[in-house]
Amino acid sequence: MTAPSAATARWTTRRTEKQRRLAAVSGLAHGNQLPAARLTEALERLISPGDRVVLEGNNQKQADFLSRALAQADPARLHDLHMIIPSVSRAEHLDLFERGIARKLDFAFAGTQSLRISQCLEDGLLEIGAIHTYIELYARLYVDLSPNVVLVAAYSADREGNLYTGPSTEDTPALVEAAAFRDGIVIAQVNEIVDQLPRVDIPGSWVDFVVPADKPFFIEPLFTRDPRLITPIQILMAMMAIRGVYERHQVQSLNHGIGFNTAAIELILPTYGERLGLKGKICRHWALNPHPTLIPAIESGWVDSVHCFGGELGMEAYVAARPDVFFTGRDGSLRSNRLLSQLAGQYAVDLFIGSTLQMDGLGNSSTVTRGRLTGFGGAPNMGHDPHGRRHATPAWLDLIQGDDPLQRGRKLVVQVVETFQAGGKPSVVESLDAVAVGREAGMPLAPVMIYGDDVTHVLTEEGIAYLYRAESVEQRKAMIAAVSGVTPIGLQRDPKALAQFRRDGLVALPEDLGIHPGEADRSLLAAKNMAELVAWSDGLYQPPARYRSW
Amino acid sequence: MDAQRLLARRSFTELHARARAQALLDPGSFRELIDPFERLASPWLPRQGIVTQADDGLVVARGLLDGNPAVVLAIEGAFQGGSMGEVSAAKIAGSLELAAEDNRQGIPTRAAIVFETGGVRLQEANLGLAGIAEIQAAIVDLRRYQPVAGIVAGPVGCYGGMSIAAGLCSYLLVTREARLGLNGPAVIEQEAGIAEFDSRDRATIWGLSGGEQRYRSGLADRYVEDDAAQIRQALLVCMRAGRPGRCRSERHDAFLPPLSQADGARPAEPAEVIAAFGEELRA
Repeated sequence: MTAPSAATARWTTRRTEKQRRLAAVSGLAHGNQLPAARLTEALERLISPGDRVVLEGNNQKQADFLSRALAQADPARLHDLHMIIPSVSRAEHLDLFERGIARKLDFAFAGTQSLRISQCLEDGLLEIGAIHTYIELYARLYVDLSPNVVLVAAYSADREGNLYTGPSTEDTPALVEAAAFRDGIVIAQVNEIVDQLPRVDIPGSWVDFVVPADKPFFIEPLFTRDPRLITPIQILMAMMAIRGVYERHQVQSLNHGIGFNTAAIELILPTYGERLGLKGKICRHWALNPHPTLIPAIESGWVDSVHCFGGELGMEAYVAARPDVFFTGRDGSLRSNRLLSQLAGQYAVDLFIGSTLQMDGLGNSSTVTRGRLTGFGGAPNMGHDPHGRRHATPAWLDLIQGDDPLQRGRKLVVQVVETFQAGGKPSVVESLDAVAVGREAGMPLAPVMIYGDDVTHVLTEEGIAYLYRAESVEQRKAMIAAVSGVTPIGLQRDPKALAQFRRDGLVALPEDLGIHPGEADRSLLAAKNMAELVAWSDGLYQPPARYRSW
Repeated sequence: MDAQRLLARRSFTELHARARAQALLDPGSFRELIDPFERLASPWLPRQGIVTQADDGLVVARGLLDGNPAVVLAIEGAFQGGSMGEVSAAKIAGSLELAAEDNRQGIPTRAAIVFETGGVRLQEANLGLAGIAEIQAAIVDLRRYQPVAGIVAGPVGCYGGMSIAAGLCSYLLVTREARLGLNGPAVIEQEAGIAEFDSRDRATIWGLSGGEQRYRSGLADRYVEDDAAQIRQALLVCMRAGRPGRCRSERHDAFLPPLSQADGARPAEPAEVIAAFGEELRA
């Protein structure tokens, strides 16, 4: 091969730069394998100052061996990195900024690190590009955040660099593709290198290096909820959701947010839902992580399909044994995929339902509280009405208002909120904390999780407000106030208006739905504790030790 | 297990003390003594800024077991961790004493105690401890005439002085979720160090003090599923068997040799404990 002509070189600067970097580690690497003991040194050669670096911190799985090694880099060699981290979850993610290795951060979610991000921002240690939703962040990797280096985690690799990511595939394909097809460098940490993978989730030709990790990648059981902690109020609200929303609109496909409210709905489908004769009529298709609390509904035949964003610790064997329901590979294990599941949750489901910590009088909601920058994750993708949707379902059509022939249907976006949080703090407030947080952090927008104009139903322990039927902003506010109990917003309600709303079907109280609050009893839960979930799963679900009381 | 059976099952651990007592007694025979409307609450808690409960977390239920006179004493684990204060302990001790008196008058009253307790109520200190001593004496008195059965179901478990009371019972019934021990996990960790016992390691906690372990090492007599009907059945079986030849505390000499041979220099392994004690120690 002759040297590239000047004309060609003009169009291959990224490729040339990649070759230069690969050559810089030729003395370190054994083929495609980087030595674990010299990983930091290898990263210092493969990454350059100012690079855009994707670090796989997902909602669940963490490329923590790579992040720990990167955080040990010499700031004289590596600095001003622009980190792109879907979920900032590890202490070392922020050590990168404190040590001066990284400067700019684009992310989607920060759970446990939300407090420290705020502090770093205040101390001028980091600058935030933007806070995204998950698919928004992946999408930008293919537009203006094209990465130089992508660091990901897999269970195992073979000698050719093929990766098995299995139940914890999550974000990996979306992150890897962005570098693999634009001359970026892809490095995967793996728990082990094997001769034969269970299956190939990421082809080896997309991966430049693998490195055996010092210990298995870190992962959290984020979606496990112990049924023992579900309260009668949550059960009442679950009954109202089934009766007043799912049954009423014939909701066939849905996403459940994380939390005890939705866990309660999952657990009363086989009891209360069964009694209403709704099996096969509602809740058949799910975009959902493998929630342990869905096991009784699956076992009693409610669920046709579940596509998963990620895995859940302890659910592997159960999921593998139910391939009719879950998306599994030829090897039998779950294949999750956050990008596709988020798209499913955005475009293909009838309903999103999630609980929130704070909602204002217009139905805007946020989980941001003062001093914490938690980001958005995936809820906004599912918690809005996608105007690009063109297929009709009964629930979607049921929300049409008026008789304009050009009317389109609407995604159901249900906000579940208990009017007061623990400690007597009202959840329905005049102004969201997010407004002050956004201002203090110098953000261009207040960090609102779900915008009020996307919310079609507000469900509190008082009742359901059918907001999609509101004819004006004023009426919308009055409907929210009508179900806001004795919060400051609720106290503004007009009792006469409530009676009229009930007659007009704009607001429903439990009795309007045929629900007696006295029925809302924990005996309705198909499983009342972790042990019963295990029994429902035929012993296949193996809860992590911290959830076991045996 | 099939779905219908799972849906029909009534979890005992899920029930509060009053419902537990109702579930144990013959249907329709439940009658509460010193009920919440008598407002016999702790006089000591309000002085310490703690809200009281009108029954002091203890349900005394008269009724029948297999048609025979019985009293069930159910501790409410949700109130102050089921701790024994002056009032709650006196309700148990007094009931047991009256049951023994019944027997001396020719009425064959038997007793069951639902242990759901961390032991003495620290806010009532010596009064609670004295009460527990009275409970223990009353168990030893009553068990001469009729069985006194203890039930540890969870989730609180049975600790402190009340674990000794459980050990004095004629029969002890446990579920898988039960825990039985003199010191709770946090106390052991505090006293002996995290290397000896990590109080957050749930596998170790249940491995060493859980219901299955206590049953297999002979410290409990019946291992029952968390199902109200099955627990009642197991209780009836014990009552029908009558007073055991020798109660566990009368067979203490059998428990001592394995203890003296244990290697105290390192933390115990669950399997070793089972092997050392063994099932032959059960009633």
